Amino acid sequence: MKQAFEVKDKALLEAAELILAEVKAIGADEGETWVSRNALTELYYELGKVSMVRTVFSDKVSLKLLKDKRKGSTTLNSFNPGDIRLAVREAWQAAQSAAPDEAEGIAELQENLSFCAGEEQPNLDAMYGQLDQLLKDVRQDFPKISFDSIGIEHNFGEKLYANTNGVRLSDRRGVYQLSNMFMAKEEGKTSSFNYFATVYENPSDRVCKESRVRRLLDESQRQIVTEQFEGSFEGDVVVTPGCLENILAFVAENYLEDGALISGTSPWKDKIGAQVASPLINFELIAEDPNLPGASQLSGDGYVAENMPLIEQGVLKNFILSRYGAARTGLPRSQNSGGSFVLGNGATPLEELISGVKKGILMGRFSGGSPSPAGDLSGVAKNSFLIENGQVTKPLSEVMISGNLANMLRDTVAVSQERENSGYWLLPWIRVSGITISGK
Amino acid sequence: MLQDYLQAYVNKYGFSGYTELRAQQNRNRGVMMLNGSLTANTSGTSRGLSARVVKGGAYGFASGTGYGDNLEAIARVVQTATSNATFLDSRVQRGKPDFPANAPFVRKDGLEHDLPVEQSYLLGIVDELDSYIAERFPRLLSRRVFARVLDMEKLLYTSDGVVSHSYVPRSNIYVVLTTQDKDGQPVEHFKVMGGYGNFLNKFPNAQDLFGQLEKQYEQLILKAEGVYAKPGIQTVILDSDLAGILAHEAVGHTVEADFVETGSVGGPMFGKQVASEKVSLVDIAHTAFGKLAPVPVFVDDEGTLAQDQMLIENGILTGYMHNKESALKFGHTPNGNARAYEFSDEPLIRMRNTCILPGTDKLEDMIESVEDGYFFTDMNNGQADSTGEFMFGVPMGFEIKHGKLGRAVKDTTVSGVAFEVLKTADMVSDTVTWTNSGMCGKKQMIPVGMGGPAIKVQINVGGRA
Repeated sequence: MKQAFEVKDKALLEAAELILAEVKAIGADEGETWVSRNALTELYYELGKVSMVRTVFSDKVSLKLLKDKRKGSTTLNSFNPGDIRLAVREAWQAAQSAAPDEAEGIAELQENLSFCAGEEQPNLDAMYGQLDQLLKDVRQDFPKISFDSIGIEHNFGEKLYANTNGVRLSDRRGVYQLSNMFMAKEEGKTSSFNYFATVYENPSDRVCKESRVRRLLDESQRQIVTEQFEGSFEGDVVVTPGCLENILAFVAENYLEDGALISGTSPWKDKIGAQVASPLINFELIAEDPNLPGASQLSGDGYVAENMPLIEQGVLKNFILSRYGAARTGLPRSQNSGGSFVLGNGATPLEELISGVKKGILMGRFSGGSPSPAGDLSGVAKNSFLIENGQVTKPLSEVMISGNLANMLRDTVAVSQERENSGYWLLPWIRVSGITISGK
Repeated sequence: MLQDYLQAYVNKYGFSGYTELRAQQNRNRGVMMLNGSLTANTSGTSRGLSARVVKGGAYGFASGTGYGDNLEAIARVVQTATSNATFLDSRVQRGKPDFPANAPFVRKDGLEHDLPVEQSYLLGIVDELDSYIAERFPRLLSRRVFARVLDMEKLLYTSDGVVSHSYVPRSNIYVVLTTQDKDGQPVEHFKVMGGYGNFLNKFPNAQDLFGQLEKQYEQLILKAEGVYAKPGIQTVILDSDLAGILAHEAVGHTVEADFVETGSVGGPMFGKQVASEKVSLVDIAHTAFGKLAPVPVFVDDEGTLAQDQMLIENGILTGYMHNKESALKFGHTPNGNARAYEFSDEPLIRMRNTCILPGTDKLEDMIESVEDGYFFTDMNNGQADSTGEFMFGVPMGFEIKHGKLGRAVKDTTVSGVAFEVLKTADMVSDTVTWTNSGMCGKKQMIPVGMGGPAIKVQINVGGRA
């Protein structure tokens, strides 16, 4: 929820004001800081038992100062005035040795705002109850599933951005997150591991009722005994939503973000307004959505983030550029330099999307090397099934795929009507043609 | 250097039940230049305190920042950990006895390496390397040079009388060069230098690294003119870096006792042939081949004195890596694999320095023995699975045709099932090299060392048809 600027924990304000005062006193032209205080409560399950309750209290400070466009920055985890003064001096010394960079700067004055969401206090009893219920549900409905670990955590934190231009932004948020790793086992055989994470505000919800969770657990149970095939072929890959998040993260890093654009390696660097993907692709970065409690409304460089289209009907609309990246490249700063991935749903029911595949695979997880700057990627298709004549047939192992990120978006021939939501992302299944799929 | 405020706390309050009390400071520095512009110039300190208490087999953990001479603040962290253990014990009622007590000891390791390095020194080295690259290498699309320092200092007191104060420094320089191939597509080659040690000692000047830059650029140009690998099972010589990550990702994770207990392939294979008899694999605690290993661990974060852990001996799976709890369960001896990354992290079963032991073959003979295959020289990331299936990225390599190195190969990936691939190892080189630049992820990140000789195997390559 957006509201007028207000910081509840006065220690944050005091630390931030001291940092900015010290930054000015030491002779810097400009400075900015993030100050935060967090309390994490975690309930952890591993090796067949609830093993640990963990509480982490943390204070964090990061600061940057500029003198004649020379930058120095430092981090610490103390609000102690003596430690803060030392940190400012450290950043000042670093700036003295740095070369000037005209692109450096800090966020311009804007409306000071605060955001808040969720509960401050963890409900440990409810967390325990939720974990207990998940284990009971899985034991009953998916008896072959074995969890390596499950972590349920409540993270409450307040963070404040302040700079010497007068910008003050804060965020106060408490969210629950459940993450895990699991596999299916039977008669001494084991499936590949898989995992899911989900972000939510109510720990009394039954996780195992989510269709995404049920699908993943069911697929693992059917992947205990896998098959390999020999040789290689060019075919269709149906990418599941969780796997698509992984692929889109590669797309963002290799084609859209600061690093790829500043270095000039992004093949899309001059493609704003051009068709870079199938017209079926509508890709957005979301800062605020009631269905995505994991989304972040503040950018790392001191701006309020907005929902922003990246690709609309296959046409590249925006990059993901920070203030610095924009200044370095001469391109506009993006309204969102992080955020949650949302891909618009398509017109094809999932069943039809799969039944249209003559020969290919349903890819549940991609385990691969970092793509090259051009977007070439290869890796193992994990938690995957063979598709033959429109039918999902055998669970597979030791199958590799090779392709190119840009080509995958260009060669997307169908997007499902159905989507899955992790609390961080909202994504459909996509079908991509022309991927090299190789067995043993 | 961390001040010892824990001694005063222990003298005043003592311990009530099984407790590990740890103060820790991670200091880091980072400098990055992208095409000559300084994009990162940062330093930081993460310092704090944690306590882990075990009651009836239930763990309570708590941590806080602001480690100092306020003994009441230390007591609050211990009290929160105790409350957490009490809460969980009341729910799970496991009724387990405390771990057997270690014999008390006091150790100090590596503290002499705590030599301050100025940010300006890192900036100077990076700037000089960047200038050299800009002047000497004309065909670059972009260049990135970055330096990173991570120094980890831990002070541990346990309720069974162990006191350990350790300091482990790590210093690396990374260079990423990018050019274009004939189609105008960017092609990248990445190299990392350094490892264990203080930055000043590790990198006394930039000039010593110029030769490595020249070689990196030469390889980049070869790669830009290179070809895609053929997909499928191929005869491949994995050079030391890749053998090291194979040891870590493909085998190491499957023989971590917690992973074994969950159902990894390492479980049913104990005592059985899992590799060619030419392969022996060990997780080194701190010293190998007469030198300090890249990530020396003398005492782990549960207070166990660290020893080497043999994992595979002449092809037979002979050991697992343990913490105190898993060792007790398996009836094995813990050898110091319980490690935590930050002060706010609990110890987990982690590798330290996994290494395939050297064989007797010469690398030249190994290459000559391949009629049609590949020599892969560099790796980037890797992942392993509960089934023993693994993959890692290969950003640099060469074809081998009729026993001779041929064209360079563009980015690819190799994968396989660890124990099946290792059974095909028919040649193992006589020289081990180490890498110490990456982080291993398993709930927490942590620095690890990886080492090995070159090995010749049959492995699945993710090339293009």
